[in-house]
Amino acid sequence: MTAGGAAREPLVHIEDFRMDFGDHTVIKDLSFDVRAGETFGFLGSNGSGKTTTLRALLGIYQPTAGTLHIGGKSFEPTDGARLGYLPEERGLYKKEPVLDVMVYFGRLKGLGKAQARAWSLDYLERVQLADKATSNLDKLSGGQQQKIQLGVTIMNDPELLILDEPTKGFDPVNRRLLMDIIEEQKLAGATVIMVTHQMEEVERLCDRVILLKDGTSRAYGTVTDVQEQFGGTVYRVGYDGVLPRSALYDVVRNTGGYAELAPRPGADQAAVLRELVTSGTAITSFTTARVSLEEIFIRVYGEQHQTVEA
Amino acid sequence: MGTAPAQRSPLRWHNLGTVVGFEFFRTTKKPRFWIATLAIPLVTAIVFALIFVSNSSTSASADAQKNAALAFVYTDGSGIIPEAAAQAAGGARAADPAQAVADVKSGRVDAYFAYPADPAAESVKVYGADRGVFANGTYEAVAKQLLMVAAQADIGSPQLTAAASGNVRVDTETYRGGAASGGFGAAVPPLMFLVLFYVMVILLSNQMLNSTLEEKENRVTEMILTTLNPTTLIMGKIISLLLVGLVQISVFLAPIIIGFVFFRDRLSLPDVDLSDVVFEPGPLLVGALLLLGGFLLFTAVLGAIGAVMPNAKEAGVVFGPLMALIFVPFYAISLILSDPTSPIVQAFTYFPLSAPVTAMLRNGFGTLGPVESVIVIAELFIVGILMLRFSVHLFRYGSIQYTGKLSLTKTLRRGRREMAGS
Repeated sequence: MTAGGAAREPLVHIEDFRMDFGDHTVIKDLSFDVRAGETFGFLGSNGSGKTTTLRALLGIYQPTAGTLHIGGKSFEPTDGARLGYLPEERGLYKKEPVLDVMVYFGRLKGLGKAQARAWSLDYLERVQLADKATSNLDKLSGGQQQKIQLGVTIMNDPELLILDEPTKGFDPVNRRLLMDIIEEQKLAGATVIMVTHQMEEVERLCDRVILLKDGTSRAYGTVTDVQEQFGGTVYRVGYDGVLPRSALYDVVRNTGGYAELAPRPGADQAAVLRELVTSGTAITSFTTARVSLEEIFIRVYGEQHQTVEA
Repeated sequence: MGTAPAQRSPLRWHNLGTVVGFEFFRTTKKPRFWIATLAIPLVTAIVFALIFVSNSSTSASADAQKNAALAFVYTDGSGIIPEAAAQAAGGARAADPAQAVADVKSGRVDAYFAYPADPAAESVKVYGADRGVFANGTYEAVAKQLLMVAAQADIGSPQLTAAASGNVRVDTETYRGGAASGGFGAAVPPLMFLVLFYVMVILLSNQMLNSTLEEKENRVTEMILTTLNPTTLIMGKIISLLLVGLVQISVFLAPIIIGFVFFRDRLSLPDVDLSDVVFEPGPLLVGALLLLGGFLLFTAVLGAIGAVMPNAKEAGVVFGPLMALIFVPFYAISLILSDPTSPIVQAFTYFPLSAPVTAMLRNGFGTLGPVESVIVIAELFIVGILMLRFSVHLFRYGSIQYTGKLSLTKTLRRGRREMAGS
């Protein structure tokens, strides 16, 4: 993965990427970078092209056009020794013993047999599955299989960890384990790309994000940058009575007695508060907060739903 | 857990070995593999044991029967049966055919033979007390033997008698290109490749089909494809299948070889004279290449089917006709051997799916010329490699289409675009 181009390019570099399936264009024109050592959130609604982008990045799909580089060059399976990939559609050889499957994947990722075996046994001990080492995978519960899947993903201490909806189908215990593992990998210097719908996880873990919609980027940058692109600040207002309409703000959320208002350009906190007070509405509380990624997500993809419904 | 891999070998070949090892051992480590594999030699051993025991007892009873005289009567419309010979065999002339039949029915005599006036034109009627299906054959044998003795006595020459009865040995020597060809003995070694091909396809094709289906059914493809080139994966599977097949064939052959070498007489095995077997390098080389090319082609085709079909049930629909195409030349075997230039044999020889069996048969019996051999071998390898590439392409796209059958049209269109873009 480390090539000559690595000095000039970020670890992951995607430029002018387009992907067609027959007459259907999934990705129109996508460009973004992922820097070494950062945790990157890849966000978008179902069908927005996230998994397709990852598959094209990993050489599983051939892109229609564009450049998709990891470490300065197109990914090849021989680079798999430095990659950890947890796909959205995941599974392992169910009729084989746990340890055999782990050792097999370890070997495919370049570990020696003894090394893969030792690592696997340590990991099974850690996740309390040591007694299942010789059991066939289909004898394990769904949650236990998820733990094995996670182990297989990280057993080569990957430089780049790509997780496609990692918490999908995970129970809370395994979700916690996954988060611990991501933290560990980050601390060890790994770059993490995460596709997820869990916005609180993105806010907690990710340094930068991209929002994908209709095959193009709708927002891209640090979490703060993206929040700024979508207004940055919201006013959380407790009130009695009727919330007035105003040219100074948009009502992001209104549940009757509580509302979140996004100020329009040029409108500051004092002007909005003055507008509310002079309208005769009884204000019970007024605080300032950053717009959450979830609100941004709903705002971006809500438009899509409204368009579809219309 | 925190230690990075100390050394990473060049992954491509390393991974081919890893796939071969994993696929081979996971098949051969399963008890059901050994149950299935050992079942055939076990059944063979049981049959041999039964033959062994049976031969011991029949040998004793045959000795007893040899000494027991057959009491029979006969009438001779032809007048050629020597009375002395008949008496020596335990026979006596009967005066009344109806009485003779009645004597058989009542058990006073074992049998009655009615020789017609012209034994060449009419049949000899044999009436006997029922001794069971096999022992009843004794009556016919004795009746014929008496006619043989009569003929010998009339001809007066053992050589002419042997010639008349067809009891002569013929040693044939044939020549090809000015040199002596091996005859039937030379056909045996190259035909062994056909047997190997047949056994391997029968035993392993289902495994190959399921092997590529398994990646899809278990949703393991994406993880595999980020560590492994699909060509390496499929080649690894083919090589491991070949090894599994060799293990199975060795296990099947073991009791036969042991039985032949150590217990041939007691098992009444045919006395194969290996000195008649001729090992001609040309047909052997052609046979080996046809076997390899044919195996490559069929495993690639099966890999493609596995990549396209969503599950084993749907794959089975295509699998059946494919197997029929492989072995359809056996239905025309007499034509293949007698008239290799006929259009149907030529079609079987060059149609890729029927080519291996047809060409191996013709190679064994010496009717596949050098030019034809080269063409068929080249065809099998070229089509096999193309099919393997196609199979890899289908695997790349088909095996991540988890729920439905892959559209070949779309996949081919994508393949052409990729090739144009590459």
